[in-house]
Amino acid sequence: MQTNNKLKINIGPQHPSTHGVLRFVLELDGEIIKSCEPVIGYLHRGMEKMAESRTYLQYLPTVDRVDYLGGFFNSYAFCNAVENLAQIEVSKRSRYIRVLTLEMNRLSSHLLWLGSYLLDMGATSPLFYTLRDREVLLSLFEELTGQRLMYNYYTFGGVRHDVWADWLKKVADFVEIMPRKIQDYEDIITNNPIFATRTKDIGILSKHKALQYSITGPNLRASGIDLDSRKDANNLIYDELDFETKIAHSGDSFDRYMVRIEEMRECLKIISQCVNWLMGNEGDVISPVKQPTLKVPEGEFISNVEAPRGICSCYVKSDGSGKPYRVKWRTGSYYAVQLLPKLLEGTFYPDMMAIFGSLDVIAPEVDR
Amino acid sequence: MKNLKYLISLIIGHLTVFKHIFKKPVTLEYPEKKIELNDKFRGEHAFDVEKCTACGTCQRVCPSFGTIEIEKEKDENGKFYPKNYSIDLNKCIFCGNCVQYCPFGAIKMTQNYELADEKKSTLKLEINTLKRNYFDNIIDK
Amino acid sequence: MDYLYFLYLELLHKWNLPDYIAMVTFPIIPFCFVAAALIVVVIFLVLAERKILAFFTQRKGPNRVGPWGLFQTIADAIKLLCKENITPEGTDKFLFTLAPLLAFIPVLVVWGIIPFCNEFDIISFSINSLLFVVIAAIPILGILLAGYASNNKYSLIGSVRSVAQAISYELPLIFVLLSIVVLASSMNLKQIVLAQSSIYPFCGYFVFPAFLGFVVFFACGIAELNRCPFDLPEAESELVSGYNTEYSGMKFAFFFLAEYAMMFIMCAFIATLFLGGFLSPLGFYVGEKLIPNEFLANLSVYFEQAFWVFVKTFFLIFCMIWVRATLPRLKSHQLTAFAWKVLLPLSLLNLLIVCLIKAVL
Repeated sequence: MQTNNKLKINIGPQHPSTHGVLRFVLELDGEIIKSCEPVIGYLHRGMEKMAESRTYLQYLPTVDRVDYLGGFFNSYAFCNAVENLAQIEVSKRSRYIRVLTLEMNRLSSHLLWLGSYLLDMGATSPLFYTLRDREVLLSLFEELTGQRLMYNYYTFGGVRHDVWADWLKKVADFVEIMPRKIQDYEDIITNNPIFATRTKDIGILSKHKALQYSITGPNLRASGIDLDSRKDANNLIYDELDFETKIAHSGDSFDRYMVRIEEMRECLKIISQCVNWLMGNEGDVISPVKQPTLKVPEGEFISNVEAPRGICSCYVKSDGSGKPYRVKWRTGSYYAVQLLPKLLEGTFYPDMMAIFGSLDVIAPEVDR
Repeated sequence: MKNLKYLISLIIGHLTVFKHIFKKPVTLEYPEKKIELNDKFRGEHAFDVEKCTACGTCQRVCPSFGTIEIEKEKDENGKFYPKNYSIDLNKCIFCGNCVQYCPFGAIKMTQNYELADEKKSTLKLEINTLKRNYFDNIIDK
Repeated sequence: MDYLYFLYLELLHKWNLPDYIAMVTFPIIPFCFVAAALIVVVIFLVLAERKILAFFTQRKGPNRVGPWGLFQTIADAIKLLCKENITPEGTDKFLFTLAPLLAFIPVLVVWGIIPFCNEFDIISFSINSLLFVVIAAIPILGILLAGYASNNKYSLIGSVRSVAQAISYELPLIFVLLSIVVLASSMNLKQIVLAQSSIYPFCGYFVFPAFLGFVVFFACGIAELNRCPFDLPEAESELVSGYNTEYSGMKFAFFFLAEYAMMFIMCAFIATLFLGGFLSPLGFYVGEKLIPNEFLANLSVYFEQAFWVFVKTFFLIFCMIWVRATLPRLKSHQLTAFAWKVLLPLSLLNLLIVCLIKAVL
């Protein structure tokens, strides 16, 4: 039980605080963490190898499962890579629909993160409030795509079917009420002294270290680096939309929380702009490409998308046949887990949740 | 000054939580009340045997190998038809590819999502179950 | 108490029984009453907590067993009693069994200290408020033993935290109690309650001169009960379930029972010290005015007084649940710092203020 006066403690794979099956081996000296070793692989599903035995269309539905909270992002990354390889044109309306669904997905992902993070910190009510609001989003997704998490909505060169006015109206209603709800969360938490002392100056991630560990997404922006791949994504219509990239400077847990809260507000901005455009414009969304027999010319491509947990990249190499030769995923959580031992060293045991939770790690995204 | 700010925020936080006590509960009491589903929902399959020509497209677009099994045969007019057709829900991931890409619209998905059962074998939908699903859920609507 | 004893004696005389039987059997009656009341209160307290938490979060709470889920806790209790008692390998079997009892039995004892009406304070002697503080600290020993005997690292860390917490929060608690003793010039809880009566309804309650003390005592009470935001010993995101991780069945039920019973008693204690205990906040008793028969009127007053204790207690319990619904958990060293750096000075300040008020008046 004891070695060198240190207490070795196992967090996970089944533990209330590791959402999903992650495992940490901690060495404690009293309540101080001496070392932390993440053990991953409990959720490995062979996502990359699976692609090699499936056609592009067969692989597409499984892609949603790389990160179950951001199915649209994975789907988009893969579709985009294939579209670029096969030179498939995507209509403007489908791009708008894609951005709309992506941002709604980001919002739902951040909402779940917020609830579970605060639950880890011991506050119970916000979880139920965020889940209540996320439920609205999931119902909207269900209405649009047929399922709540595994959407399979994008196709190569478009989306499965068009959105309709009734649905857009519902989204607009949601966008209307959501800012008040976000204000509610902030009222409960942001200025709370207990939350502040637990997260401020805890788990500080410096700019240098963040870049060293290739951290992306809100975690990086909380460290003061303005990197948002939405801004330079030319294949989506983000350049036509008006939104800001929120950054914070100290890189502690509290800043990561603030960046995500602000990002939720930006999401709402983008969603309402997309809804307005989609209501006012007509267009074709169905892809002209014959999906089941799609053959992709030889080549390779990496597509990036700013997912809720950092940049999600999908590398596709094609040998000209109907099946991809190699698919590689790069997901944000994997890098965040690598960072964890550095951030945890020398902190207190209860800080573990304040740091680990703020990095927004999703186990299936780590293992793929 | 800072302490005062903290105190105020504590009070605001408590009041914010308190105000939810007057709101209507959002609980949906599941077995009695059920969530409203729309036509696009991807649930248990239904199969129109008249339309099917046993072409095998559904098999080819299915991401999970071995989910759909077709045994095709020629009828007296020389047309192919599925003598046996089964969908194994143990393997199905409900992606809806078979529905989307069926050239004749023979497969549909119903709103039935309560598929839990004691035996694995009942989850393998044989052609008769699929047909019955079609008549019960698609045509009756 | 004397009055009730007198009634009991008369009853026995009717049956031609000698006095000494009354002397021996009389203490058993309130004890049985207390034990039964405790279980009933706890059962509905658990339900109340779940319901109130549900209302705070826009849910419906338990509503399956019985009308409005009234029998949910009873069903849970039966389930717990029917479960296998697992004693994991490597545990200290004697201490493992002793710990839940150590946590539970003191709670039964302190229950008798609270004066529920003019005549009904079972353990009544001149310094019984001190006894409360002393006995209320014993369950901590049970928690420590549970953590030690479980042979589980989570349990051990949880129990060590619990002890650290108890040590730091006992002190401000006692200082605030001291200020109340100064105000009431007595250490007997019944005298403390009676000292709060005044000509105007509820103006004499000690919560007004010692408001600071009330807040400090409430915070310490929550910490003493290991409830959110001071629920470090059972912080589930770190320690799974803390000291009772390895417990199941009956033994877990004892911990559970002790926790909620202690919560009720702590709130009743705060109500007694600060909110006038059994005194009616209306300034008069309804039964006294309406019932002409003197004996029945007296009896109804007792019930009314008990009713007011329960109302005040449930108000405080509601506040505790409200706090639990809102606040995140503190960190362990933050918690001790909060006790020593904030609560202790505040309790001393409170004592100073109270002494000044007492001197001026």
